[in-house]
Amino acid sequence: MNHKYSLASLYMLFMGLAVMMTAACKKNLPDDRLPLGADAVFTTFTYSPVLGRNTLFTNNFNSGQGSGLPLSFKIINLRKRDGSAAPELTENFPVSVWRKPYMGDEKSLEEIEAKRAIENHPLFEIREHSGQFLMWANSSSSFIKSRPDSGYVFDVEVSNSGGRRYFRDFKLIPYRERAYEPSNLDPITGQAQSVAVHPSFTQGLSGERTSSFIGPGDIDVYFKKINTSGKSLSFKFVDSLYKPIDPNKFSKTKWESLVHGFNMVKTNESVKYDVPYPIPAIAFPTIYTNPGGTQARAVFRYERQGFGNQLIQAAIGFDFNIYEKGDWEVTFRFTRESPKFTND
Amino acid sequence: MRYLIIVFSLLLLCGFNKEVFAQQKKVVIQGTVLDKADKVGIPGVNVQAGSPLTSVGVTNEKGEFSVSVAENSELFFKYIGYTTARRKADGKSKITVYLAEEQNALKETVIIGYQTKTKETSTGSSVVITAKMIQDVPVANLMELIQGKVPGLNVQNNNGSPGMRGSINLRGLSSINISESGGSAFLTPTSPLFVVDGVPIEDANNFDYGFQQGGPGISPLSLIPAEDVERIEILKDAQATSLYGSRGAYGVILVTTKRGNSKVPIIKYTSNYFMNAIPKLRDVIGGMDERRMRINQIMGNDTSYYHGIDMINRNPFLSDSLNAYYNNSTNWQSYFYRRTYNHSQNVDISGGDNTFNYKVNTGYYDEKGIVENTGLSRFSLNMNMQYQPSPKFRLFASIANALAKNSKGSGNSLLQGDAAKGGAQTSLLPAPSQYTAVNSVLSAMQTQNDNKTVKIAANVDLRYEFLKGLAASTNFSYTYNSGTEDNFIPAAINNNAGELYLYNDKQIALYSRSTLAYVLSLGEKHNFSANVFNELTTTTFKADAMLNRNTVNDYIHGPTMGYAYPFSPGGTLDNFSDRRSLAFAGAFSYNYMQKYVLDLTYRLDGTSTNGPDAGYSKNPSVGLRWNFNKEDFLSTISWLDFGSLRGSYGRNIVPTGTIYDVYGRYLSGARYNNNPTVNLDLRTVPNTALSPKTTTQLNFGFDFGVLQNKVNVTFDTYWKYVDNELKAKDLPNINSFEKISTNEISFMTRGYEIAVSFKPLPEKSKLNWTLMVNGDYRKEVLTRLPDGARQLMFKDVNTGQNILYRLGRNTLSNVLLNTNGIFSTNEDVPVDPMTGLRYRTGTGGDVTYFQAGDPRWTDLNGDYILDERDYVSVGNAQPAITGGINSSMIYKQFSLNFNLSFTMKRDILNNAVAERFQNFGRPNVPGSLVPLDRYKFWETSGDVAQYPNPYDFTRQRVIKPFRFDQTLFQEDGSYLKINDVTLGYTFDRQLTKRIGITGLRIYLTGRNLYTFTNYTGPNPESVDALGRDKSEGYPNSRSYTFGLNVQF
Repeated sequence: MNHKYSLASLYMLFMGLAVMMTAACKKNLPDDRLPLGADAVFTTFTYSPVLGRNTLFTNNFNSGQGSGLPLSFKIINLRKRDGSAAPELTENFPVSVWRKPYMGDEKSLEEIEAKRAIENHPLFEIREHSGQFLMWANSSSSFIKSRPDSGYVFDVEVSNSGGRRYFRDFKLIPYRERAYEPSNLDPITGQAQSVAVHPSFTQGLSGERTSSFIGPGDIDVYFKKINTSGKSLSFKFVDSLYKPIDPNKFSKTKWESLVHGFNMVKTNESVKYDVPYPIPAIAFPTIYTNPGGTQARAVFRYERQGFGNQLIQAAIGFDFNIYEKGDWEVTFRFTRESPKFTND
Repeated sequence: MRYLIIVFSLLLLCGFNKEVFAQQKKVVIQGTVLDKADKVGIPGVNVQAGSPLTSVGVTNEKGEFSVSVAENSELFFKYIGYTTARRKADGKSKITVYLAEEQNALKETVIIGYQTKTKETSTGSSVVITAKMIQDVPVANLMELIQGKVPGLNVQNNNGSPGMRGSINLRGLSSINISESGGSAFLTPTSPLFVVDGVPIEDANNFDYGFQQGGPGISPLSLIPAEDVERIEILKDAQATSLYGSRGAYGVILVTTKRGNSKVPIIKYTSNYFMNAIPKLRDVIGGMDERRMRINQIMGNDTSYYHGIDMINRNPFLSDSLNAYYNNSTNWQSYFYRRTYNHSQNVDISGGDNTFNYKVNTGYYDEKGIVENTGLSRFSLNMNMQYQPSPKFRLFASIANALAKNSKGSGNSLLQGDAAKGGAQTSLLPAPSQYTAVNSVLSAMQTQNDNKTVKIAANVDLRYEFLKGLAASTNFSYTYNSGTEDNFIPAAINNNAGELYLYNDKQIALYSRSTLAYVLSLGEKHNFSANVFNELTTTTFKADAMLNRNTVNDYIHGPTMGYAYPFSPGGTLDNFSDRRSLAFAGAFSYNYMQKYVLDLTYRLDGTSTNGPDAGYSKNPSVGLRWNFNKEDFLSTISWLDFGSLRGSYGRNIVPTGTIYDVYGRYLSGARYNNNPTVNLDLRTVPNTALSPKTTTQLNFGFDFGVLQNKVNVTFDTYWKYVDNELKAKDLPNINSFEKISTNEISFMTRGYEIAVSFKPLPEKSKLNWTLMVNGDYRKEVLTRLPDGARQLMFKDVNTGQNILYRLGRNTLSNVLLNTNGIFSTNEDVPVDPMTGLRYRTGTGGDVTYFQAGDPRWTDLNGDYILDERDYVSVGNAQPAITGGINSSMIYKQFSLNFNLSFTMKRDILNNAVAERFQNFGRPNVPGSLVPLDRYKFWETSGDVAQYPNPYDFTRQRVIKPFRFDQTLFQEDGSYLKINDVTLGYTFDRQLTKRIGITGLRIYLTGRNLYTFTNYTGPNPESVDALGRDKSEGYPNSRSYTFGLNVQF
C-alpha cells in the first residue's frame, strides 16, 4: 500500500460514499403522501336543487378504503350546456350565513338576526374537504338557468398530497324556485296546478250545518305574499264564501308557540306575527316545528261539547315552509262548510 | 471460546517458527499476579515463555505461580480481558506482576460467524456485555439486564410476570404483522436469535404466530442463570450476523457461559435475597365517599330529578346504605397484589487448564410474583468441559439442564385479566372471605395453575487440525424442551363444575454444523482466512391438550364421568410443526497488517417453508475496515489510541409462515358411500413461491479511542430493509379459497447509534470511575404493501384504535380523532353556516349536538358532522430514541454501580386513564372510581380544561367523550428509568483468608427504583408493543436485594 493519499482525502472518499448511499437509499423510498385510491368516487352526478333555498347535498362522495383524508375538492369548468361560461354561478354574491346556532328559544327578531351575517359566496359551491355541494338561497331563476332548461355542466378536481383525480360532466339542473311548501306549483314549469294546498291534518272537525266530518281535503290553504319587504306572517280563516272567521274561535290554540314569531297582533279577522325568514329558520326540531324539524307546524285548536257531553278536541294542523322574505298571509278556507264551534 | 484465541495464537506461532533450540539452563521463578485495580490475585493467568511462546504454567486460585524456565528468558502473563505483561526472568525468585484491565475496545474479542476475532479485524457491528455488567441483580430473564446497555437494542420490560419476556427489538421492528385476539390487536412478537454456547435457541417460537395462551409460556432465556453467563454479545449488522443466516435476520445475541480456567478448582457461591415490592397502585375512592360521589353525580347530571331518583333506587348498592353488604370500604387491589420475599442461590465449580477444564454451575432461583398465585422457581445444572490433549485436537462438550415451575394464576403469560377486573370493583362490596362478592377474586386466588418447563441441551464440538492452518470442526447439539400445564378451576367459581385443563408440549431441535477452516499468513503482513461449512437444523414441535369438564370434585381431578364426557375434548393442537433448514456457507477474510480488512461471506439457505418455486435464499455479505491509526502518518499522534472506519453490506433471512402456506393442506372429510373422503382445505390457497423474510443491511461505523483510552467512541449508522414480510391476504369471494399468504410487505429502518465510554478521573486517582453513555435514534418507513396498495387499515374492534399502514410513513400509525381541547362554552361549538346546525355526531334521528364540556374533535372534512371520515393518522408507538447510562465506581473496597435506561419520542395510548374516566360514565355500575383531582377537567361554562366533563354520564353514552380512539389519550411515553443501583463491599483478602475464603463480597441492589416521566398512566414501560397501556398487564415490581459472593 502506498501512503501518497492523505488521511483527509481517504476520509472524504469514505464519507462521500456514505452520503451518496444515503441519497440513493432515500430516493427509492416512497414519500409520505396521502394516497388517492381508485375507490374514491362520487355517487351522484346530477344535482337538482330548488332555487331560492339553501340546499346542501350530502353523502354524495364515497372516499373508499384506499384514500388518505382529507381530500380537497374544487369545482372546475362550470359552464352552460352550450359550453359558454356561467359567471352567474361562479361570481360571489352576498348570502346570509349562520354565525351562531339557532336554538328556537330566541326572544326577539333581532336576537335571531344577530346570529346571521352576510358573506360573499358563489351561489354554487363545493365544500373544500367533504365534497358536499351547496346551493345558496339567493339563487333565482331570473338569472340562473333552471328547468326545463338543461342547466349546467361542471367537473370536479379531487386532490390530496398523493395526487389528483378529475370527475367529469356533473350536471346541475336546478328546479325553479317555489316560495313555499307544500306548493301548488309544478316543479318544472313553475305553473300553478291548483289554486290551493291543504292542511296536514285535522282532528275533530265537523260541519256546522250538516255535522259531517271535515277533513284536510275540505280545507284550502292559500299563500299570499303582500309585499317583499316586510317580515311578517298572518293567518286568516274564511268560510266558503270568503267571509272571515274569528281566529279567537280557535280558543285552545297556543298562540305564543304557533310560529316562532313575535309581536302577535290578533284581531277578529287574523293573527299576525313578525317572523324571521325562512320559516322554519333551520331544519332543527323546536316547539314550532314538526318532530323532524323540517317544516314549521302551526296547530289551531278549540274544544267544544259534543253529543253525550263528550269533550271534542278539534284541531287543524299545517306543516309548511316559506322561503322568501315578505309579508305573507296564509288563509284557511273551509270549502264545504265551516266547522262547528258551539256545543251540541 | 477464550481458549480459541490462545490456542490459535499458539498454533500460529508454533507453525511459523522452525528453529531448533539448544538446551538451556532452567531457573524456577515464583510470584504472584495481581489485579492492578483490586490488588487481588488473578487465578488462571497463563504464563508463557520461550520462542515460540509456550505455556509454562498457570496461576493458582490465589494468583500465585511457580514456573521453571530458561534463564533470562522473558515471561508473558496473559489473561483475557487484561493487557499482557512481560517480565524478564532475572534471577529474582519472587516477583509480583500487576495486570491492568484491558480498556482498548479494539482488543476486545468478538465471535462472529462461529469464529473468534479481535474487534480490530472484524468489519461488523457488535457490542459485548461482560459478566461484570450484569452481576448483582437477580432477575429471572437475562434480557432485563441488557436494557439500556446496547445502542440499537430496544428492550422494554413490559411484562412483569416472573420468567416471561418483554419485547426485544434490535434496530427497529422486525415484523409489523398485527394479529387479533379477542378483538384486541397484538403486534407479532419477534426476538433476535439467541446462540447459547454455539447452540441456536428460538425464543419467540411459541408465540411466533400470534398470541399463545397454552403452556407455561416461559422464555427459554429465563432458564439460564445470570451467574453462569460469562459474556453476551449482540451482533447487529448483516455482516456480523451473516453466518447465522437462516434465522439471523432479527439480529443475533450470543451468550457464552463460564468456563473453567484455574488449575486449582474454584468454588464460587452467589446468594441473593430479594424483596419484590408492589409498584404504586392507583388510588381509589372508598366507602361512603364513593357512594356520595355516585349519588351526587346522578342527581347533578341526570336528565331529570325523577330519573335520577329512579336510577339510585334501582341500585341497592347506592340506595341501601344501611345494608351491611353494601356498606364497606374494600381495597380490592390489596387482595391481588402482595410483597414477596425471594431468593436465588448459585454454586459454580470450575477448574482446569488448557488441556482439560471443566465447569459445573448449579443454581436455584425462586421468585414469587407480586400478583397472588403467580411465581417461578427454577433449578438449573449446567456443565461443560474441554479436552485438548494436543494443539491439533480439541473436544468441547456441554450439557445444560433446567427445570422451571411456574404459575400464571388465572391469567396467561401476558395478561392478568382477573386481577385487573377484580381490582376494579366498587369498594362498597364486602371484602372476600369464605364468600366473595366478586368472582374474579376467587378465580385469581383459587385457580390452581401448575406449569413445568424442562430443558435439556447437549452440545459437542470437535476440532482437528490435520494440516498447518487447515482445521475441520463439527458441532452437534440436541435441545429438548418440554412444557406442561395443569390448570384446575374449582367448581365454586365455574358454575359448579370443576374444570381441568391439561397441556403438554415438546420441542426437539437438532443442530449440526461442520466446518473446514484455513488460515494463512504471508510474511506476517498478508493474513488470509477462509472457511466453508454446512448447517442443518430440524425443529419439531407438538402440543397436546385435554379439557375435563365437570370433574368429580375439587380434590379428585380424575377422569370425567357421565354426561360431561362428550363435552371434554382432547387431542393434538393445530400448531404442531416440523421445520428444517439446510445451509451452505463460505467465508473469506483478508487483512493487511490488521490495517485493511476485507470480509466476504456467501450463504445458501433452504428452509422447509421456502416454496419450491422460491428455491434457496442467497445471502451474501461484504465488510470492509480501515484501522487508520496504523497508518504511518498517524503513528506520531500520541493522543490517538485507535481509530477505524467500517462499512458492511449483507442480507439475512428468517423463515416465516408454515408449510401449509406453501403446500396447502388436506383434511379428512365426511364419509361418502361409507368410505372416508379427503378434501382440500379451502381456507388457504398454496403459494409455492413463498420466501423467507429477508433483511438487508448497510452499516457504516466509526470507532476511536483517545487519551490513553479515557474516551472510547463507537458510532454506527445503518439502513435496514425488511422485505418479504408474510401476510395473509383475503381473496375475492369468487374464489374457492379464502386467503393466500404472500410476501408483499416491506419496510426499512434508518438509524444512528452511538456509545461513548469515559474515564473522567486521572489514572492515579483512587476512585476508579467508568461512565458509559449510549443511545440510538431510528426512523422507520413503510415501503411496500400487498397488491401495490398505498395504505391498509387494521381495525381494532374493542377499542376502535385502528392502525394504519401507509407507505412513506412510520410502519404503524394510530388512527384517532384529533382532540383539540374542550368546548369551553356553548358558543364555542361551530355552526354550519348554511344549515345553521351545530357541530354534531350521529345520523338520522339519532343526532347529538356538541356542547360545552365536550371534546373539540377536529372536523377533518368540514361537514360539521363527526364521523369515521374525521380520523387522522398520528403517532408512532415505536420509540425513536432509546439508550442508557451506565456508571461503575470503585473506591478502595467499595463499589457503586448504577444503570439507567431511557426511551424517548414514543406515543402511548393511555387506555388506563381513559378507563378511569369512562368508569364515571356508569355511576350505577359497581366499578372502582379513581380520584380525578390531578386531572384538569371541565366543570362549568368557561373552563379551559384538558379533559371533558367526566361527571355528565348522560353525555358519555351518546358522544363518548372518553373514547379510546382520540388523541386526548395519546401521550408522550418518554421516560428515564433507574434500572438498578448496586452498592458493594469487598472484604480484605487478608481477613477472609483466615477463614478459608479467598474472596468475599456483599452488596445491596435496588432494581426498578424510579421512573422519571410526564406520562399520566401507571408506567410508560408497561405498555404493549403497539404502545397501548392495557390495564390487564402484569406490573413490573420494584425489588431490593441483599447479595453475597463467596469464592473458595
